[in-house]
Amino acid sequence: MSGRGEIQRFTYAERVVHWVAGLSFVFLLLTGLAFSHPRLYWITVLVGGGGTARVLHPWIGLLFFASVVVVTLIWAGDMRIGDRDRAWLKAIRHYAVHDKKNVPPAGKYNAGQKLFFWSMGALGVLYLATGVPLWLPGGVGGLGPFYGAAVNTMRVVHYGATVAGGLLLIVHVYLGTVAYPGTLGSMLHGSVTRAWAKMHHPLWQREQSGS
Amino acid sequence: MTAQIQQNGLAIKRISASPDPAPGIRRSPEFSKLVDISRCIGCKGCEVACKEWNELGVEPTENFGSMQSHRDLTPDTWLLMRFNEIEKEGDLEWLIKKDACLHCEEPGCLYACPAPGAIIQYENGIVDFNQDNCIGCQYCVSGCPFDIPRFNPETRKVYKCNMCVDRVEAGLEPACVKTCPTNAIAWGTKDDMQTLAAKKVEGLKGRGYENATLYDPPGVGGTHMMYVVPHGDQLEEYDLPSDPTASPGALAALVGLKRLGAGAFGLGLLATALHYLGFGPQEPAAEDEDAGA
Repeated sequence: MSGRGEIQRFTYAERVVHWVAGLSFVFLLLTGLAFSHPRLYWITVLVGGGGTARVLHPWIGLLFFASVVVVTLIWAGDMRIGDRDRAWLKAIRHYAVHDKKNVPPAGKYNAGQKLFFWSMGALGVLYLATGVPLWLPGGVGGLGPFYGAAVNTMRVVHYGATVAGGLLLIVHVYLGTVAYPGTLGSMLHGSVTRAWAKMHHPLWQREQSGS
Repeated sequence: MTAQIQQNGLAIKRISASPDPAPGIRRSPEFSKLVDISRCIGCKGCEVACKEWNELGVEPTENFGSMQSHRDLTPDTWLLMRFNEIEKEGDLEWLIKKDACLHCEEPGCLYACPAPGAIIQYENGIVDFNQDNCIGCQYCVSGCPFDIPRFNPETRKVYKCNMCVDRVEAGLEPACVKTCPTNAIAWGTKDDMQTLAAKKVEGLKGRGYENATLYDPPGVGGTHMMYVVPHGDQLEEYDLPSDPTASPGALAALVGLKRLGAGAFGLGLLATALHYLGFGPQEPAAEDEDAGA
């Protein structure tokens, strides 16, 4: 897969599961916002109407959760947070203004990416736990019914988690596309240039050169 | 959607999930049913009339040791006379409750509904479900303080009493009112019904029901089916919540949170755009690529 002078960053399996998670999350965000804000209700037309959106949202939600589980199994090791990451986080205001000299060099993933990863995992659990009662308010298995105050509370938590996840997505997409050219390619064809690796993940780039 | 609702000739007060004010310019007096529980003989004629007028399917009755015809409301049973049996000082008391939509002035179902136009409140006080627009989320069921709406898993829509909106529109009373042989259910403007209720309550007090009261709970802005309750101190035993509210805390919190959420998304997108304009893309240096290759 890697062209001349390129480093393999993501395997085929990693890319597939990333896009399952990413596209299902976008679907969930859009249909969820449609249910939440009357002025965004038109979004339901894109997926076949309000009733269809209501039917699909929970199933796509299960797909998203499954992909979160797989992603966690694949990446949890790489995403362990260490002293280097704590130093990186202390320098996050330098990172935010592209002042690279004052940001400690990152390995395969920087601390921001790791926090994004763990946050989305935690949100995935929260979406599932609050989403199931909203999906089946009449009860599921021996649980429920959830009608009444339970559902209203779940709506608040589910929506709050959506705001958090939506904001994370905005930052993730921005950094992964227009802010850092060359990054999107790593999730499409799997490889990055050495220059990209040296700039964003110097420690990882050194490891790769060494091997 | 709005135009479609207006065609049926009723002035609209509120539409679910619609940020704009209701378009109605005509005004209508508010109507109300008044159920005088002390006059109910438990004949269930109203249940039959409801089924007939609204062409709702017959469901088998079940003997579970009560005079009550069915155990619960269903998508096809919008009205159920509940026969609550209470033992008091060795005597059996039947605290009968006409269980159907109360048509709240502040409808919890409508506030909870995310589907534009699925729930409509008319100026005359009727809260109506428009199943064409219902998406089957059942939030109305959770929003209702009286546990009235019922979900049909086959149609994936929610149903409840519509106060015979088609009859009322034509100047008639609801079918249950029409059929009641003892005039236990009265029908008229809300003002008239409140006046009538005051007389009935006085009458009951004169007969020794010192706790007699009118059930028109202020927590939901009053209702358009009110009850004259002989034992006002036993509301819970009638299955009537003593202080129902239209916006339980969580739902009220959600309204505020959504404003914050909309602002947060807007600011998030704006901040990203401004960041890009201010700091631009970070291209890897070209010489690095040469050196690496």
